[in-house]
Amino acid sequence: MLSLRRVLWRYFPHLLPDSLLDAATLTAQTTRCSWLQRLWHQRSHPTTLSLLYFGLGLCWLLGGDLLINTWLHNLTPPPLALLLKDAILVILGTGMLYGLLQAHARRARRLHKVQDMRLAEFIEIITDVAFIKDQDGRYLLFNSAGARLVGRPLNECLGLRDHDLFPPDLADRICADDLQVLTQGALLNCENHLLIQGETRVFLSTKWPYRDANGHIIGIIGIARDITAQKQAEDLQQQARDILEMRVLERTAALLDVNRSLEQQIIARVQAETALRDSEERFRQLAEHIREVFWVYGLAEERILYISPAYEELWGRTAQTLLERPLDWLEAIHTEDQPRLRIAHVRKLESGYLNEEYRIIRPDGAIRWIWDRGFPVRDESGHVYRIAGLAEDITTRKLAEDQLRRQQVELARMSRLSLAVELASNLAHELNQPLAAIVAYTQACLTLLRLGKVDPRDLGGTLEEVAKQGFRAGEIIRHLRELVQKHPAAQGVVDLNALIHTVLHYAQLELRQTGVVLVLELDENLPAVLADDIQVQLVVLYLIRNALEAMHDNDSTTGERRLAVRTGMLEPSRVQVTVCDSGPGLSPDATMRLFQPFFTTKPGGMGLSLSASRSIIETQGGQLWATANADRGLSLHFTLPVYRNLGLPSLSKSRP
Amino acid sequence: MNKEQSTVFLIDDDQAVRDAVALLLRAEGLQVETFANAPSFLESGAAERHGCLVLDVRMPGMSGLDLQKQLQAQGYRIPIIFITGHGDVPMAIRAMKAGAFDFVEKPFQGQVLLKRIREALVQDAEERCRQAQRADAVARMALLSPREREVLERVAAGQYNKVVAAELGISLSTVEIHRKRVMEKLQAESLSDLIRLLALQNDAS
Repeated sequence: MLSLRRVLWRYFPHLLPDSLLDAATLTAQTTRCSWLQRLWHQRSHPTTLSLLYFGLGLCWLLGGDLLINTWLHNLTPPPLALLLKDAILVILGTGMLYGLLQAHARRARRLHKVQDMRLAEFIEIITDVAFIKDQDGRYLLFNSAGARLVGRPLNECLGLRDHDLFPPDLADRICADDLQVLTQGALLNCENHLLIQGETRVFLSTKWPYRDANGHIIGIIGIARDITAQKQAEDLQQQARDILEMRVLERTAALLDVNRSLEQQIIARVQAETALRDSEERFRQLAEHIREVFWVYGLAEERILYISPAYEELWGRTAQTLLERPLDWLEAIHTEDQPRLRIAHVRKLESGYLNEEYRIIRPDGAIRWIWDRGFPVRDESGHVYRIAGLAEDITTRKLAEDQLRRQQVELARMSRLSLAVELASNLAHELNQPLAAIVAYTQACLTLLRLGKVDPRDLGGTLEEVAKQGFRAGEIIRHLRELVQKHPAAQGVVDLNALIHTVLHYAQLELRQTGVVLVLELDENLPAVLADDIQVQLVVLYLIRNALEAMHDNDSTTGERRLAVRTGMLEPSRVQVTVCDSGPGLSPDATMRLFQPFFTTKPGGMGLSLSASRSIIETQGGQLWATANADRGLSLHFTLPVYRNLGLPSLSKSRP
Repeated sequence: MNKEQSTVFLIDDDQAVRDAVALLLRAEGLQVETFANAPSFLESGAAERHGCLVLDVRMPGMSGLDLQKQLQAQGYRIPIIFITGHGDVPMAIRAMKAGAFDFVEKPFQGQVLLKRIREALVQDAEERCRQAQRADAVARMALLSPREREVLERVAAGQYNKVVAAELGISLSTVEIHRKRVMEKLQAESLSDLIRLLALQNDAS
């Protein structure tokens, strides 16, 4: 019996109480037999059920047949027994089939009821609003969540419309949504806002058509969920996202800024590098192409750090040798300049400065004049760490200078000669005076003696006069010789006032003859100057003669002819001499060209003396210039350096 | 003729030259007056006197040439011998053009200078003589009446008396009377005397 129960339990769950059925279900689920499981899961299916019951009936038939055969065989004869047997089987079978069908129907009903209840319970329990409306909008179903929402008991709500439950604007919108669902027959999601207890709540409504068994739309099923919190969360989230986004944007912008500035910095750096490269390139081009030798000496390294290619060309020595032997350049220097340059080199290392002119002898024997200058290069702390310099070939200039100097010397000599010649002719003329007197005296004596009118002893005074005139002539010749004699140019201590007196002595005749008033304004405390005595004499004499001639040529005898010679201190270190005439002066053009060689305003003049005088004075370290007088005439001034007894033999250096 | 002794006026700024030359000239028997400069000569009024001027060209103040110019301007015709130590040609030319008697360079041969001085003195004497004659002629001419002068001019021109009479519209005898008076007034012996006097007068005017 136990086994039968098990079989029944297993294969006829419909016949068993629910608890048993549950157990059976459990068993089936735990069973590993897959086809059985499948069968079990499809047990409600009509085909499965038919097959099941057909099998059951067949078993029942065979078993009953066996039992009846055994039992009937004992009672009745075989043909009757067989008939009975069939009848019994049919009755039993029919009855069983009916019973089974009944049981099945009952179970199905009970099951539906349970499901409905579960559904209703589910609808009641959920927090979402669930509803079913008919086509007219009346609520057929409304759950308690909905009743709470509208604030009315559940029962009152049924049969009402949206306009009865909700504010008009919301109700209108709901109706519009409903209409859309009813006409389109499709699922619709929409959000509705509802003011509850002063708080706006957001509901997400999902609606779809409610169809009958034939598929006709007979209403609307819907569910509405309060998504306020979710919305708020979403809003917050949105806000957070916005903030985040904003921050991202800000950050991006900041990063872009940084990026931009970095790019600019990079560009600037690239430009700076380019500029530096250009600058270096330019420097290189400059250094390598200029004719001057550019050099850089490192004090710490004690060697030449850089020397431009012009060095090789100029010195005729390789730069490589110089880089290896820093004093190589010195060895090329002319032996006469070497000692000086060695001292200069040492001084250069101490001070950083160099400014020397020297000669070098190239390997081919050619001599070149170099002007070498060096300047200290300081590091950031002001410490001299390098010396940069420029060595220039000044041979051409030097030659030109020599040429010029020679020309100047020649000019000065010529001019001195011309001055001397003029003066000599002047003095020769003056010689005629005593000579004329001598001749006249002696002839007078001779006549007197011849005539015998006079005692020869009375002629003594006349003969003394003759002798005096002879001495006067000798004196003139002595002056002449002094001037014409070739003095070696030598600077010495000169008293300018005494010199002017001497010169005036020479010019006495002319002064006398031109009838000029001489004004001497000589500073008695005038210090001695350092100059070439004879040359300065020549200049002063020339200036006086020039002034006299200027006034002599002046035909206007209206004003007084006046020659002023002044001496005085211009500065503590310079003495000034001024020769001032009252002649016609000079036109501005002539004043400008006054010192040009071969310029003259005099008919017979060579125009050498004024330019020569200037060159003489400049050679003595002074200056010579002309100014127009306020009233009339011209002033010529020159300066000479004051002699200071410092024992400077180098100053009397002889010129070439 | 004026019997005044001719004097050599020596102007030189050089004392020695002045003394020596003066001594020489005096030894030769000439009368000499010396001046140290031109203005003192002008002031002395010696320019009016007989003689000649021995003048140094270059002197302070007024030069020899200046003095020459001034004397000429004042109408003095005293001969000037320039002496100079600066014998430059242009100056000599200027002096000679201006009417100098001579130009002697220092130092000079005493005899040369003496010769020139004597010549100058002779010239001066002649000049002064001529001048006196001229003055005389002018004075005599002044005595003539206008008609007499007209007659004289025509006669001196070689016109015959008849022609003169016809030209002046007077009678021949009147012409002859005029002519006689002219001869008397001018103290002329002959026609040639008349002509010489007329020339002298014209020369002087």
